[in-house]
Amino acid sequence: MNFEIFGAWLAVFFTLAIFSFLYRDNSFYKITEHLFVGVSAGYWMSMFFWTQIQPNLYGRLWPSKEYSESGIWYRIYDGLSIFLGSIFPEGGIDKGHDLNLFYLIPLALGVMMLLSLFKSFGWMARWGIAYTVGMAAGLRAYGYLNSNILSQVKATIIPIFDPDLPFFSLLENSHFNNFIIFIGTLTGLLYFYFSKEQKGTFGRITRIGIYFLMISFGASFGFAVMGRISLLIGRFVELITYSSDDYYHASYWVLLVMVILLIYNAYNEKASAE
Amino acid sequence: MIWKRQIPILIVGVIGFVTLFANFTTLHGFKSFVNDDATQWFDILASFAIWLGGLNLLKLQSQKILKKQEGWEYSVFAVIGLIFALVAGFVIKGEPAVEWGTHVTAKGTLFKWMFTYMVAPMQATMFALLAFYVASASYRAFRIRNFEATLLLVSGIIIMIGRVPLGSNISSWFCMYLLVLIAGVTVNSIFKNKQYTAISVASGLILVTVSGFIMGWPLDQPGIFYLPYLQEWIYKFPNVAGARSIMIGIGLGIFSTSVRYILGIEKSYIGE
Amino acid sequence: MDFLINTILKLGKVDRRWIFLIIAFVVLIPLLFPLSLPIRATATTQLVYDAVEKLPHGSKVLLSCEYGPSTKPEIHPMVISFLKHCFRNGHKVYVTCLWPDGQFLADEALDEVANNEFQLTYGIDYVMLGFRPGNEAVVKGIVSDLRKVYTIDSRGTKITEIPMMDGITKFEDFDFLFSGSAGYPGTIEWVQYAVDQTNIPMSTGTTSIQVNEVMPYVQAGQVQGILAGMPGAAEYENLIGSPGIGTSGMDAQSVAHLVIVLFIVLGNLGYFIERNREKKQRGY
Repeated sequence: MNFEIFGAWLAVFFTLAIFSFLYRDNSFYKITEHLFVGVSAGYWMSMFFWTQIQPNLYGRLWPSKEYSESGIWYRIYDGLSIFLGSIFPEGGIDKGHDLNLFYLIPLALGVMMLLSLFKSFGWMARWGIAYTVGMAAGLRAYGYLNSNILSQVKATIIPIFDPDLPFFSLLENSHFNNFIIFIGTLTGLLYFYFSKEQKGTFGRITRIGIYFLMISFGASFGFAVMGRISLLIGRFVELITYSSDDYYHASYWVLLVMVILLIYNAYNEKASAE
Repeated sequence: MIWKRQIPILIVGVIGFVTLFANFTTLHGFKSFVNDDATQWFDILASFAIWLGGLNLLKLQSQKILKKQEGWEYSVFAVIGLIFALVAGFVIKGEPAVEWGTHVTAKGTLFKWMFTYMVAPMQATMFALLAFYVASASYRAFRIRNFEATLLLVSGIIIMIGRVPLGSNISSWFCMYLLVLIAGVTVNSIFKNKQYTAISVASGLILVTVSGFIMGWPLDQPGIFYLPYLQEWIYKFPNVAGARSIMIGIGLGIFSTSVRYILGIEKSYIGE
Repeated sequence: MDFLINTILKLGKVDRRWIFLIIAFVVLIPLLFPLSLPIRATATTQLVYDAVEKLPHGSKVLLSCEYGPSTKPEIHPMVISFLKHCFRNGHKVYVTCLWPDGQFLADEALDEVANNEFQLTYGIDYVMLGFRPGNEAVVKGIVSDLRKVYTIDSRGTKITEIPMMDGITKFEDFDFLFSGSAGYPGTIEWVQYAVDQTNIPMSTGTTSIQVNEVMPYVQAGQVQGILAGMPGAAEYENLIGSPGIGTSGMDAQSVAHLVIVLFIVLGNLGYFIERNREKKQRGY
């Protein structure tokens, strides 16, 4: 059997089954949705295991360059190797690492995370989660302060009265454009200051900020529409590819069968309702 | 109990402080631990978290099947899908020449086949559905109720048309004529006087036509009415101003929240 | 006139499945019968092109692929065009991925460009370092010590055995970074944890939805230009003189946008007509 052709027919079925939801919720969609959830979970589990856990964790606990048949540590490895030869190949794991037993800490935290599947050990995941939360907090505090606050504030302090700049330019820097950026950023930020009631002069200033925010949201909406349509174009391009002779007109046949079954189902439901 | 509450809070505080402090020191061993090993541990724990999620999914779907809860028949497909993916990842390579480990990305393996013909089409189509919903929402929900909504709508439309090749082919003179008609509608709604409306529309049309003849009807001049230039201006200047104020606001929020986590004030990760 | 008004009001209450069908046809038909509308590069796309052109021959370029099948139509054409641009200018390309799916798609792009079009040698002209989980922690690791994050490449070969990895130990050893990003982790993490700390120049291509988040960085000069979604990809293809999937989708994109704008206008017309009728009924 040609697995590529079979795969193409499967891909067309899944695509059209998900699109059938636009007509109404139906069994094709529900089956595909559940299959998607299961396959995606398994895909991510396999991917993360083989790109991180096996090479970077086990590869540092049992590196091949320090393999020894006599030591008790590698005896444990040999035992694991008997049952899980694909994960623990003979002679240690050769990923270029040195032995580092400190990596028993993330192994322990990871196992504790997995044990939390059992209700009585539910609290165990907290240690691993706490590590990731702490690390993320430390990374983000500096990263966002530096790049999102300081750099952006610096970029807002731009020349408004520079004799070398024109007063107005549609595409390049100009007095007017720099003024727009300065005022827009300032008034937009003032809008988010909720410690003072937004009325009077302050209210008028924050109203200008709202206008800049609305322009930004409108641009985001335009880009969002653009992005979604691009994704749809991608799917249709693939369906057109799979409708060719090379794939035995998969798109046409699957569409035909699906439409017939959906119409038949709708007719039966109507008849039983009557 | 200490190991359910105090120890996690201590871990967050210590690790958070150590990670942050690494930016303010040049001690080589310390920096090396934070930048290399600590980040590797983070990566490893992230991988275990994925496994926790996957196994939890298996547990919940299996319970649904065993208890024959509503929709259990579909849960069978979820479990079959998960098992199939794990078999492709750990049991059947499909290409004997490829080593375990590299089989997740190498050509010709069952895992690659599963990605190309199952994961990719399903994932892509789920997101492509949104195109239909955005069109439906634009038609049924997007309403000009006030000036702010009008600003949002107008900037959205200019970006949508100006950014695509079609926008480059719409003459600025077409936009000017459109503006004259919109101005006429506005004059009519304010003054409700047919004479005023007729005069404003007629004078606008004459002005645009004469200017067009004088300038020779160039496609992209006057630049302010040429949609690609106008969208570029909106995109680079007022849009950036709004986006930047949001970005600075979010940055301040994230910085303060991170500090709250490190100081142990925020404890949502342990359910408090 | 009454007939027109009543038709507009009726259309406002139409079943949304008709709208779905119209959108489907409006996207499908230009794909089957192309209009070949000319494409004009915007300033931000030109910045990306110029940034790559400025690099001296043989520069070491890091390409980071953080996108998946759901965003492939937007980012994949950018990555392919970027690879063509780099290989044409004789640069060496190192590929990393912050998303697992990115590795498959990067492999596909390298196969198409490096193997089939340019017939380049793996390990000498380009290398696929592969995916590592950990989000911004991976970026930090690459900045600090790349060889601790990557001891082997995606094919299982040790980094020390790959000729073009000689002299590459950290992010600062690269001359340029291009991030093809669909979300988190992606461009923003590269800016925050790599570019801002080291001043290595960077350009990016993002999905349309992410453009507004990244534009402030472009405007501030932290990122040299941005390829904004599929139109950005098409513009870049046009600049390097190699039209591809991005260009072929532009006709459908244009027509779909026009139809959605018409939907908005029609919807609002119906809203104003109904509002005026209600006002008249209440005697205003």
